[in-house]
Amino acid sequence: MKKETTKSAKAIRTRNNVLIHILLAVLAFIWVFPVLWVIMTSFRAEKGSYVSTFFPKAFTLDNYIKLFTDTTILNFPKMFMNTLVIAIFSCLLSTFFVLSAAYCLSRMRFKMRKPYMNMAMILGLFPGFMSMVAVYFILKAVGLTEGSLIRLALILCYSGGAALGFQIAKGFFDTTPYAIDEAAMIDGCTRWQVFTKITLPLSKPIIIYTILTSFISPWVDFIFAKVICRANADQYTVAIGLWKMLEKEYIDNWYTCFAAGAVLISIPIAILFLKLQKYYVNGMTGAVKG
Amino acid sequence: MSEVVIKNMKKIYDGGVTAVHDVNLEIKDKEFIVLVGPSGCGKSTTLRMVAGLEEISGGELYIDGKLCNDVEPKDRDIAMVFQSYALYPHMTVYDNMAFALKLKKVPKDEIDKKVREAAEILGITQYLERKPKALSGGQRQRVAIGRAMVRDPKVFLMDEPLSNLDAKLRNQMRAEIIKLRQRINTTFMYVTHDQTEAMTLGDRIVIMKDGFVNQIGTPEEVFDKPVNLFVAGFIGMPVMNFFDGCKLLKEGDTYYAQIRNAKFKLDDFQQRALKQNGQQPCDIVAGIRPQHISVGEGELEATIEVNEMLGSEVNLHARSDKDEVVMVIPTVDLKTDVSMGAKVKFTTQPKLIQLFDKATGNNLIWYDKASAEANAPVCAKY
Repeated sequence: MKKETTKSAKAIRTRNNVLIHILLAVLAFIWVFPVLWVIMTSFRAEKGSYVSTFFPKAFTLDNYIKLFTDTTILNFPKMFMNTLVIAIFSCLLSTFFVLSAAYCLSRMRFKMRKPYMNMAMILGLFPGFMSMVAVYFILKAVGLTEGSLIRLALILCYSGGAALGFQIAKGFFDTTPYAIDEAAMIDGCTRWQVFTKITLPLSKPIIIYTILTSFISPWVDFIFAKVICRANADQYTVAIGLWKMLEKEYIDNWYTCFAAGAVLISIPIAILFLKLQKYYVNGMTGAVKG
Repeated sequence: MSEVVIKNMKKIYDGGVTAVHDVNLEIKDKEFIVLVGPSGCGKSTTLRMVAGLEEISGGELYIDGKLCNDVEPKDRDIAMVFQSYALYPHMTVYDNMAFALKLKKVPKDEIDKKVREAAEILGITQYLERKPKALSGGQRQRVAIGRAMVRDPKVFLMDEPLSNLDAKLRNQMRAEIIKLRQRINTTFMYVTHDQTEAMTLGDRIVIMKDGFVNQIGTPEEVFDKPVNLFVAGFIGMPVMNFFDGCKLLKEGDTYYAQIRNAKFKLDDFQQRALKQNGQQPCDIVAGIRPQHISVGEGELEATIEVNEMLGSEVNLHARSDKDEVVMVIPTVDLKTDVSMGAKVKFTTQPKLIQLFDKATGNNLIWYDKASAEANAPVCAKY
């Protein structure tokens, strides 16, 4: 009798597993499909945006070559470098801001701590581009909206508000026992040394997580770049460039290049994720034991 | 020389809660002081104020004659061992122990020498290259002690260092701390809620309750001469028996303690002390330690409810009228029937009876008004 029940339980489990895996496979296919399509389009030899077949009739690398050689109308290499520089610097700044703010809120007790956290929470509920017009006028007032200063303006824009996103890092720091900090202070550390010598080495996962997220947002941002760059084609980031390629006058010639560009910008992010995914998972769950 | 002098030190939290009231304590050079009390009595807070981890709300703290109220922890030249060990998880045992010296920029070979020496004393040499994660609780605690030792601090602070260990390891580590103390010879402040640790380790014990110091004294003093009901009940296992509704009588010049229907003529030193205080007859709570009761004959009577045989002695829980009485009776030559339900007669020696004022809870003999009012209560001297 007992044997029978276990057997049927196993059968049910197998059946459920099969069903679940079929469902997951379908979902995965739906999810991967557009990605596949973009990759294939990027290798397509026929021009134009309207084609009747899913699979390209001929494959070519010309789209990629054109992206980097035909710089007369849309200077993709320049845009790529612009974006890279902006993303790297905003990433460094934001990471510093986020980790510092998170550390302070996790470790120090001061009067405005709770009100600040509540405020940050509420502000976080509004999309960032609500402030777009105000930000533009402020930047214009301080003279950062012309020439190569636009890059600086974008870096400030992306990193300035970063400290509002301290929650996850704070949650991670909260799991590190405070006694460790105290021990370090008694051992002769200043607050800054506690942060750099104890807290940061213990927080690799969350540092990586913060670097990843703060690299990605400037890397893919369109709205602020568009508002601040306006017609300064020199300062365009990849996101604006790709958008341009889809405009009426370019779409016929640039459609497949657009796909190639889309593949290219996802490569740095993909590499970062693959290299750091182990930490990313740890960072989300948080774990330092005393 | 490293004395610690605490003058009227207070801790008031932001919410207005007072965790520590006016503590006064003078810790002599190389003395081992144990702060003991139930949870939430302010003992850890006091220690943390000495460490500089909590701000001092009022009063003064001198370490080695220097006012330290506003000195950063790192500049106080103290070392601390935490209950949770608080080792740095990302460093090896060696680096954990060398960390403070590296920060002080001590030459490398000197660090090496000191770390190896401390590791040798503590028996952790073979673990120096390991991370704390790979150590057992006892080993971690040794590392934590080693980390404090290498610094040759003026004051060695320990915040319940043995509480996270199992009973056997705790006994072993306790013995090691005693040995350690003889070797490193510095001033110790030790916090615990375990009276056994307090009694075995301390040169002097500070008993705290609700943020107040109740008594400061040697282990013998706090055991034999408790100044009030709390100290009497806190120190000693099993807990002292208290007989409520007793009376202190005075006939002529002689004092008697009336416990239930038995009348004890008090011992000479008690007579002297009471006379000196001009004590009038009053209601008292009489305290008798379970170990100080003898059964078989006597003026008092009780029915045994529980009999716990421990081999060399037997713990009896008995009922005498409304009081529950605990007795610890040696089993050698025990002739009385102490099985459950048996009625026994019992008594004690008058000099072992503690007399507490029913109104104030203070010991009529040992409470010293002057020192209590100065917030550094010690037992009275006669």
